[in-house]
Amino acid sequence: MIDQLPILQDHAGEPACASGGDGALGMVWTTRIDDLVNWCRKSSVWYMLFATACCGIELMQTGGPRADLDRFGAVPRASPRQSDLLIMAGTLTYKMADRARLLYAQMSEPRYVISMGSCANSGGLFQRSYSVVQGVDLIMPVDIYLPGCPPRPEALTEAILRLQDKMKSERWLDKINKP
Amino acid sequence: MTPTEIHQRLLEVFGPDDILGLEAELIDPVIVVRPGALRAVATHLRDAPELAMDFLRLLTGLDRPDAFEVVYHLFSYPKRHSVGLRARLDREAPTVDSVWDIWRTAEWHERETWDLVGITFTGHPDLRRLMMPDDWVGHPLRKDYQKPSVYHSIPTTRPKPSSQAPTHVFPPAEHVAKAEVEGEWMQVNMGPHHPATHGVINFLLETDGEIIRRARPDVGYLHRGLEKLAEITPYGNTMPYTDRVDYLGSMFTNHGWAMAVEKLVNVQVPPRAEYCRVIASELNRIASHQIATGALAMDIGAYTPFIHWLRERETINDIMEIVCGARLTYNYMRVGGVARDIKQPTLDRILTWLDHFEPMIDEFDRLISNNEIFIKRLANVSTISAEEAVSFGLVGPNLRASGVDWDIRRDEPYSVYGDLEFKVIVGQGLRGSVGDAYDRFVCRVLEIRESVKILRQACLNIPEGEVQGKVPRDLKPTANEVYARVEGARGENGFYIVADGQKQPYRVRYRTGSFTGMSIIEHLSPGLMVADLVALIGSLDVVAPEVDR
Repeated sequence: MIDQLPILQDHAGEPACASGGDGALGMVWTTRIDDLVNWCRKSSVWYMLFATACCGIELMQTGGPRADLDRFGAVPRASPRQSDLLIMAGTLTYKMADRARLLYAQMSEPRYVISMGSCANSGGLFQRSYSVVQGVDLIMPVDIYLPGCPPRPEALTEAILRLQDKMKSERWLDKINKP
Repeated sequence: MTPTEIHQRLLEVFGPDDILGLEAELIDPVIVVRPGALRAVATHLRDAPELAMDFLRLLTGLDRPDAFEVVYHLFSYPKRHSVGLRARLDREAPTVDSVWDIWRTAEWHERETWDLVGITFTGHPDLRRLMMPDDWVGHPLRKDYQKPSVYHSIPTTRPKPSSQAPTHVFPPAEHVAKAEVEGEWMQVNMGPHHPATHGVINFLLETDGEIIRRARPDVGYLHRGLEKLAEITPYGNTMPYTDRVDYLGSMFTNHGWAMAVEKLVNVQVPPRAEYCRVIASELNRIASHQIATGALAMDIGAYTPFIHWLRERETINDIMEIVCGARLTYNYMRVGGVARDIKQPTLDRILTWLDHFEPMIDEFDRLISNNEIFIKRLANVSTISAEEAVSFGLVGPNLRASGVDWDIRRDEPYSVYGDLEFKVIVGQGLRGSVGDAYDRFVCRVLEIRESVKILRQACLNIPEGEVQGKVPRDLKPTANEVYARVEGARGENGFYIVADGQKQPYRVRYRTGSFTGMSIIEHLSPGLMVADLVALIGSLDVVAPEVDR
């Protein structure tokens, strides 16, 4: 278990082991606080139980028994205040856009957005429609764009893994200390 | 009665001043009525015993160059005949009397027609926008409509990608809750982000503690303008859009659209293609009812049955992927046939899977259908009588659960349903009264079993042959009007197409089961507990895009 911790393959790729011995007991591992925090964060990406359209069904299937998103620490939360990740699954209309902005504003930082499916990316099939927002990135910053109409559960799993990679590379402590 | 006979009967009663003519050359004939006489004619059509038009299938508006038109499609369950009504309205100030108290389903239809086409209905109790936001300007389905360039500081066209750093500023969020304090009742917003509302639907609740005084559905959060898009898309290319009308039952919307266009251009479908359609549709029906029943159980508080259904649904998705290459939005059917054949190995796989699946239905029943707590939560909750169900235009399992023995597959056989044997499930009040939430649930579970039966027969009897009929390369039907309907998972999926000789339709109206299912909630809500409202929404199996389109 312990040798799978990503923080141990820090920078040089060598685990920084202070005390010898092959048993796990008595071992001291050094790492940066940032890496430890990131490891914790990326292992529990809680996404908001929120879907607007067709992609929501694939989101549901991704949380279901076969794709099983739980194994990456990603579980759905019903409240935006408990969520780290907003998966914008499906078409966003102007009527819904106000609500979506509010939901995003209610999430606490650090927060992430996956734009799932063509409609969320750019309006997709509904680019010529009078009531569809031409891309979620017009109203909120997007971290991952996930193409597909709708994307398969495997694709969404990949998006979450990519998001975890992004989380691992961030330096939140630096940001906090800066004025 | 045929439309001609109905026209004759109306002429005898009202005379040629009010009944202006019969458009008999249309595929689905329409009687033209003077707008001032519409209410009287409508009341007569509903109340005269030999006519008994108790079901308003469809009400919509058309923007013609010379006039606005309202179109009513009526059907009679006791007499099994149908006819259309049309009233031509003044172009400058289109106004017509409301029929909301004659057919209750007209209340929402008229609100939608006012919202999208801009026809005023005098006497309507609550003529507000239904689909678009309250501060939206204009009526989008008018032919001269221009969409605004900015709405709430969101640009309505996508900026071209550029190499420069983005300069876009995200607009701030504003609090947009709709519930307002009014009197001593507590106002609560339920949705549009709520796990139990089945998609983005908002309910404005007025509550006295846990008791609901009124629940007003606020829909349109997924209104994607599919009907306007169909007006600028060639007939064949609209097929993928129909997938998105009902993403849980794409096969039915595919099928309905294909049937409507085939009626327009008079195309024959080869028998093997018809069987392919039925097999795909019934697989889809199982998948859709699984989400309906599983999600209802989950809303009530039982998570496991839903996960079990998702597991089985994955196999259907696999089969669908072999059949048409997609897991969810199938785009499988074509005008005159289907996109590709279902090969023998796939048929064998379906049959093998059915053997595995039937015991799984028993397992589901053991898990939840016979569960004491589940029954207590659903039995006798929000009972819908047969009259209410017909007046509000409920269709499909919701209608049958109220005791109306009607299934388009059996009573107006289309495709090859006439050759297949299956039972139509009607609500019997198994654990409570007829038409309660438990009946609606049980109807769906039993329909899954019937679909299994249909699938077995269809997979064994499928004939050899082509799967695509001869269809002209450019579909250009002559000016005509057609209404085709299929029995979808949420009931009647109707497709009303007005053709004008172009490559694209002049006007399209999708008639869906969820739209009318949604409109009955306000009527049923007074006196319910908040938790019962969740059971009501789940048992009606409303799907947001079907409501909003």
